[in-house]
Amino acid sequence: MAREKYILVSHFCKQTQIEISFVENLHEYGLVTFEEKENQLFMDEKDISEIEKMFRLHNDLGINFEGLDVLNQLLKRIKKMEKEMSLLQKRLRLYE
Amino acid sequence: MEFIDYYKILGLDKSATSAEIKKAYRKLARKYHPDLNPNDASAQQKFQQINEAHEVLIDPEKRKKYDQYGKDWQHADAFEEAKRQQGSQGFGGQRSYSGGAQGFDESQFSDFFESMFGGGGFSRGGGSRRQTAQFKGQDLNATLRLNLTDIVTSQKQTISIGEKKIRLTIPAGVEDGQTIKIKGYGGEGMNGGPKGDLYITFEIFNNTAFKRVGNDLYKTENIKLYKAILGGEITIDTLDGAVKLKVKPETQNDTKVKLKGKGLPKYKKEDQHGDLYITYNIDLPKNLSEKEKELFTELSKLR
Repeated sequence: MAREKYILVSHFCKQTQIEISFVENLHEYGLVTFEEKENQLFMDEKDISEIEKMFRLHNDLGINFEGLDVLNQLLKRIKKMEKEMSLLQKRLRLYE
Repeated sequence: MEFIDYYKILGLDKSATSAEIKKAYRKLARKYHPDLNPNDASAQQKFQQINEAHEVLIDPEKRKKYDQYGKDWQHADAFEEAKRQQGSQGFGGQRSYSGGAQGFDESQFSDFFESMFGGGGFSRGGGSRRQTAQFKGQDLNATLRLNLTDIVTSQKQTISIGEKKIRLTIPAGVEDGQTIKIKGYGGEGMNGGPKGDLYITFEIFNNTAFKRVGNDLYKTENIKLYKAILGGEITIDTLDGAVKLKVKPETQNDTKVKLKGKGLPKYKKEDQHGDLYITYNIDLPKNLSEKEKELFTELSKLR
């Protein structure tokens, strides 16, 4: 089983220079989940690329937090549909 | 190096106002943002062009210089020098527009931009929400389509991702849908952050008559009725050539025969192979002659 790696939220913000308020807002809107241990917030390492992506969308395109939530859900649906389409195309090729 | 029409990139004419530039930029940025087009290398390129066009046209000084020299941009510095010597007001050799290198690395500017404006700063996001976040570049995804016969042995291939060429060794036996990660071949990091990674997903097109299950291959082979009853020899095509196979007398329909080691090589264990399973389908004769019918009737009476 893969071991989960957690990093301190404050450490992540310091490293990336992303304002902590941005990350806290993501948490508040349910876009990311943190673990609280000994009064400190930890984030799953797997969420880093997602947070960075949301920061880029927020910073580059001015998308607000509600918009990020909608975008995330739509992107997930597109990804799922692309996978299904690829699978169906492969099956179709068997009959060509 | 070619002249780049920044107005055309943003779909504007030369009289566009600052508000129109902003509006056109935002609309195109939403359309081509790499995070919204994860499997499209051309979108990333387009996004960079849009950013570059915006960077020039939104800055009054840069826009003035760009408009002033247009297609004669290659001589812009010479013109500036001449003007300076005549005491005219110009740019005074000031070629650095330090915006604080936000967003993109200088390597992402076009040669045209570098030549005209020198190293500059990208104010990503219209410059209104500047932040100096430093993070890893975007991960890129690509699909590489191969034929099943291509994965019998490991092979080297050069693939193009955007403008980059990457030499890649494709291990034999790679699975359909398998993804490999190539570290550091993704998008540029922001503000000195590391580059993203490239994920290549293999799509294996089965160009053979075999059915693949893992490393094993399956095939149905038709054999004549007489060969099934009396036994004999058939030739089977495998991935590494034709092999002769003995058919036992009285072979039943749907009999399976295993050809050990005639399947696909195992991933990263090229000396180990899966097996090939042959299922016999007995081909019954059609359009029997009177003589054949007579003989079959005779045979049936013996049973």
